[in-house]
Amino acid sequence: MAVPSPSPHKARARKPKRIGSNGASMLSTDEPGSGSPFRTPSFPLAALLWPARSLATEWDLLPLILMAVGLFRWAAGLWGYSGFERPPMFGDYEAQRHWMELTTQVPVSQWYFHDLQWWGLDYPPLTAYHSWLCGKIGSLIDPSWFALYTSRGLHDGNLKIFMRATVVVSEYLIYVPAVVVFVRRFSRLSGVATWTSSVALVAILMQPATILIDHVHFQYNTVMLGFVTASMSSMLAGRYLWAAVFFVAALGFKQMALYYAFSVFAYLLGSCVFPRIQIGRLIGIAAVTVASFAILLLPLVWGTLSDVRNGIDSRPDLDGPRQPLAIFPGLTEYLDTEAFYYPIVEQLVQMVHRVFPFSRGLFEDKVANFWCALNLIIKIKHFPTELLQRGALLATLASIIPPNLILFLRPNKLLLPLAFATTAWGFFLFSYQVHEKSVLLPLMPMTLLLAGDHGLSKNTRAWVGFANLLGCWTMFPLLQRVDLKVPYTVLTLLWAYLVGLPPTSLGAYFQEGAGVWSQWLTFFLHGFFYLAMLLWHVLEAFVPPPPDKPDLWVVVNVGVGAAGFSLCYLWCLGGLVAESDILPRSWVGRGAKVKTR
Amino acid sequence: MTEIYPSLTQCAVIAAAFKILLFPAYKSTDFEVHRNWLAITNSLPLWDWYYEKTSEWTLDYPPFFAYFEWLMSQVAKLVDPAMLRVYNLEYDSWETVYFQRFTVIVSELLLVHALQMFVDSSHGASKRAAQAAAISILLSPGLLIIDHIHFQYNGCMYGILIASMVLARKRSTLLLSGLSFAALLCMKHIYLYLAPAYFVYLLRVYCLSPKSMFRIQFLNCLKLGGGIVAIFGTAFGPFALKGQIPQIMSRLFPFSRGLCHAYWAPNVWAMYSFLDRALIVVAPRLGLAVKADALQSVTRGLVGDTSFAVLPDIAPRVCFALTLLFQAIPLVKLFVQPTWETFVGAVTLCGYASFLFGWHVHEKAILLVIIPFSLIALKDRRYLSAFRPLAVSGHVSLFPLLFTPGEFPIKTVYTIFWLMLFLMVFDNLAPASSRARTFLFDRFSTLYITVSIPLIVYCSLVHGIVFGKSYEFLPLMFTSSYSAIGVVGSWVGFMVVYFAS
Repeated sequence: MAVPSPSPHKARARKPKRIGSNGASMLSTDEPGSGSPFRTPSFPLAALLWPARSLATEWDLLPLILMAVGLFRWAAGLWGYSGFERPPMFGDYEAQRHWMELTTQVPVSQWYFHDLQWWGLDYPPLTAYHSWLCGKIGSLIDPSWFALYTSRGLHDGNLKIFMRATVVVSEYLIYVPAVVVFVRRFSRLSGVATWTSSVALVAILMQPATILIDHVHFQYNTVMLGFVTASMSSMLAGRYLWAAVFFVAALGFKQMALYYAFSVFAYLLGSCVFPRIQIGRLIGIAAVTVASFAILLLPLVWGTLSDVRNGIDSRPDLDGPRQPLAIFPGLTEYLDTEAFYYPIVEQLVQMVHRVFPFSRGLFEDKVANFWCALNLIIKIKHFPTELLQRGALLATLASIIPPNLILFLRPNKLLLPLAFATTAWGFFLFSYQVHEKSVLLPLMPMTLLLAGDHGLSKNTRAWVGFANLLGCWTMFPLLQRVDLKVPYTVLTLLWAYLVGLPPTSLGAYFQEGAGVWSQWLTFFLHGFFYLAMLLWHVLEAFVPPPPDKPDLWVVVNVGVGAAGFSLCYLWCLGGLVAESDILPRSWVGRGAKVKTR
Repeated sequence: MTEIYPSLTQCAVIAAAFKILLFPAYKSTDFEVHRNWLAITNSLPLWDWYYEKTSEWTLDYPPFFAYFEWLMSQVAKLVDPAMLRVYNLEYDSWETVYFQRFTVIVSELLLVHALQMFVDSSHGASKRAAQAAAISILLSPGLLIIDHIHFQYNGCMYGILIASMVLARKRSTLLLSGLSFAALLCMKHIYLYLAPAYFVYLLRVYCLSPKSMFRIQFLNCLKLGGGIVAIFGTAFGPFALKGQIPQIMSRLFPFSRGLCHAYWAPNVWAMYSFLDRALIVVAPRLGLAVKADALQSVTRGLVGDTSFAVLPDIAPRVCFALTLLFQAIPLVKLFVQPTWETFVGAVTLCGYASFLFGWHVHEKAILLVIIPFSLIALKDRRYLSAFRPLAVSGHVSLFPLLFTPGEFPIKTVYTIFWLMLFLMVFDNLAPASSRARTFLFDRFSTLYITVSIPLIVYCSLVHGIVFGKSYEFLPLMFTSSYSAIGVVGSWVGFMVVYFAS
C-alpha cells in the first residue's frame, strides 16, 4: 500500500518549541478523559475512530482511512456520469474524453484551435498535458477509446472504468497527499492531537461535494484543489517558493484557481513585509513564479515551434491570409506576423482567449450567487454587458478586499483557511461567469477548518457542515438532470450522519459555555435553511411547477442558496476578523463567539 | 456499563450507505434467479411452485424461503409489477434492481439484531472482543461480495443462524435455539451440514439431564420434537398433502451435479484435482496410465462433471463418508463436554468437514465456516492463529465470483481493508492462551498471508497481460489451490486447538 509520506522533519527542526508543546498535548489525550475534546464520541465519525485513540502512530490508521474513502469514491463512480447517452453534445465526461483524444491525436499547435464547436479545449495547458498523459495510457489499453473523430460520444463500459480510474489516481497522487500533509501540519500548528486530526482528515476526505462532482458527475477538480492545498500546506511549512510553484500549477490546471489568487498574493506579500521587510524573499517568490509559468508554457511553445518547423499549420481548416488574433487584435500592429515568434504569440493569445471567455454572459444557467439571485428581483440580464462587468468587478473587489487586507497585515499561518474561504466565497457570490460547481472552491478551505483549533467543536462543525450540505443541495439540479439522485442522497446524508449534522442529528448545536444568544441565532438560521432544503426536496419531488414558470424550483434553490452562502461568507469573515486580533477585542463581540468552545 | 464504540448501529448505517452505492454494480445470474422466484411465488398457486420450469433457474430452496419470496413479492407488486411475470426472463428495470438490492439490505437487519444479541450475551472483558467480532461479521467482505454484489440473501439467514447459536448460550432459551435452527433449515438446506452439531448439543444439554447422560428429560424431548415437527409441517405440510415431497426433494438435492463446482471451491478435492493435473505431466515418466477422455475436460478447467485423468474418480459416497467421519470426531468431544464454546467449535468443524470433503461444494459455502468461527476466534491467541489463514484464504477464494473490471477494486481493496483492520484489532484484543503453543503456526500463517499478494497480482493483472484469454483455468486453479492450503491448514490448526482446550 503506497502511503504518501509527508516529510515533517524540516518543519520540526525549524520550530522545536511549538512542536514540543504539541507533542505534549498529544500524549495527554491518549489517556482517556484528560484533555481530549471528547470523553465520549459526540458524533458518529468520532465513534468509528474511537478505538484508534490508543494507537501509538497515525501510520496504522492512515492506510485504512485512505482505503475506506477510496472505496466510497469508486463505488460512487459505478453510477452514471454527466451526459451519459445524451446526444448530441453529451457532457463534461465527453469533454474530458475528447481532450484526451484531441491532445493525443492532433499536433500541439492545433490543440487550442481544433474544432472548437465540439468541446474545444478551454482549460489551461496543464489540463492539456494531463489529458495527453491519460490519453496515451488509455490508448495502450484500447486505441479505439481515443480515435480521432470516431470516438466522439463513446460510452463503452471499460472506457468508463478507465476514466473513473484516472480521476481516482489523479486525486490520490495530488489532492489526497496534499490534504494529508495539510491536516498534519495545520493541526500541529493549532495544537490539535493526532487522533483528533485523523477524525478531521476523514471528514475532509468524505466531503460529499467533491466526490459527487469529480467521481460521479465527472471532472478533475481535485487536481486543482490539491495543488492549492499543497500551496497552503507549503505556506504552513514556511516554504514560500514551493507555495508559489504549487499555486502556478493549480492555475495552470484550471483557471478557476484565480479565486484564491488574491489570498495567495496577500499572504506571500504580507510575509515579505511583516514583521520585517525581506526583499530577498520577495524577489525569490517573483522569480520562481515567473519561472514556473515559463515551465508550464514550455511544452506548448516548444510544440508550436517544432510544428512550424515541420510545416504543420495550427489552423489547417482555414485557407488564405492569417486570421487576426481572437483578442488584442491591436497587437499585430506592433509585431511582425512573419517573425519566428509570431506563432507563439498567436498560440498564447488563443490559449488566453479560450481560457477566459469574456464574451459570455454574467452567469451561466442558474447558479446560487448574488447576481443570479438578484436577477430574480430585477431582470439585470437585460442591462448592458459593460455595466454588468463593471458592477461585478466592483462588488467582487469590495467583498475580497477586507479578508485579503487582513491576511496581508497579519500573515498568520493559522488564518490561511479562513482567508482563502472568505475570498473564494466573495468570488463565488459576486464575480462574473460563475458555475454552480465553483462552490467547491470556497468549500475546500472552509472544510479544512475542521483540522484546526476547535475544528471539531460544535460551532465550527455546524457552520462547515452547513456550507457543505447547502453546497451539495445547490448542485442537486445539476445532478438530477443526469439521474444521480441516489448517490446525491446517500453521500450527503452519510456525511451529515458522520459529522453529526441535521437532518440526522441536532447534536452540533448548543454546547455548554458558549454565548446563549449566538447559539440560538445559529440554531434558528441553520434550522430555517435546513427546513427550507427539506421542504424544497419534497416540493421538487411531488409538485410540478406551474406551467408558466417551469424553472420555479431551480429559481427557489438559487435564491435560498445565495442567501445561505452569503451567511457563510459573513461567518468566515467574522471568524477571520476575530482570529486575526486586528480589531480591539471590545469591538468584536460577534466575531468572538467563533473562537469559543 | 460504558458503551463500546463504535456501536453496531453506527457501523450498519455506514455499511448500508456503501451498499446502496453498489446498486449499479455487477450482478450475477443469482439476481435473475431471485427475480424468477419472486415471479413464481407471486403469480402461481402454491402447488405449482416446485413444478414451474419456464426459466432454467427453478425454485430449489426449501419452502420457508419461497414464503419469504412471496412476502417480498407483495411489496414488489407496488414497485414494478413487470418483474413478477414468470415469462419476463432477464428483466432488470432499474426499479427491479433497486427493489431487489434494497430487500437484501433490509433483510440484513436480522443479522444486525442477531449480532447485537451476541454482544449482549457476552459479559466482562470478553464484551469488547465480542463487539469486534460482531462488527467483523457485519462488515464481512464475504457477505459484501456474495450478497450485495453477486446477489443472494445470506446476511439474513446467517442472522438466524447466529441468533440461534446465541440462544443456545442460556439454558432457558435452548428450545428456541433448536426451533429457530429448524426454521433456518426450512429456508436453506445448506445448513443441514451444521445440523449434526446442533443435534448432539441439544440432545446432550436439553434432552438428557445435565447431571447424568443416562437420564432422559422426556418433557424437553417432547417440546423440542413437537416444535420441530410443527415447523417442518408448516414448511412442507401443504406440499405433502398433494404428494409433492419427492418433487421438492429432487429440486433440493440434485445429485446429478459433479464433484467440483464450475469453479473449484478451495477444498480437498481442489488439491486432488491439482495433483491430478500435475500428474498428467509426470505420469508418462512414472508409467501411469492417463485416461484420454478425461484429458479434454480437465484442460478446460471449467467443468460441471469432473473426471480425473490419472487419479481414481471420486464417488459421492466417498465424499459423504469422509464428511461424516470428520464431523463425528469433534462431536464426540461435544457430547462429553457440552459447553457453549465447544458447541460453537463443533459447528465450525462441521462446517469445515462439509466444505472440505463435500460433494459439489460451492465456494460461497466458506461462510459456513468463517461466520461461526468468528464468534470464538477471539477466545485466545491460539484460536486467532487458526482463524487468520482462514480469513485470508476464505475471502481470496471468493474473488473469482466477481470477474468484471469495475468490481475489481472493490473486492480487493475492501478485502484488504477488512483483513488489515480486523487482523490488527483482533491481535490487540485476543488474550494470551493459558497453554503453551504447540507448533509454529504463526510463522506459517504470516508466510501464507504474504503469498496472497503476488497471487492476487498475478491472477488479476499479470496473467491477462502474458497469456491474454488463453489458459483461463490457470488463475482459477492457483487461487483455489492456494486457498485450499489455507483452509486445510486452518482446519488442522483449529482441530488441534479444539481438542487441546
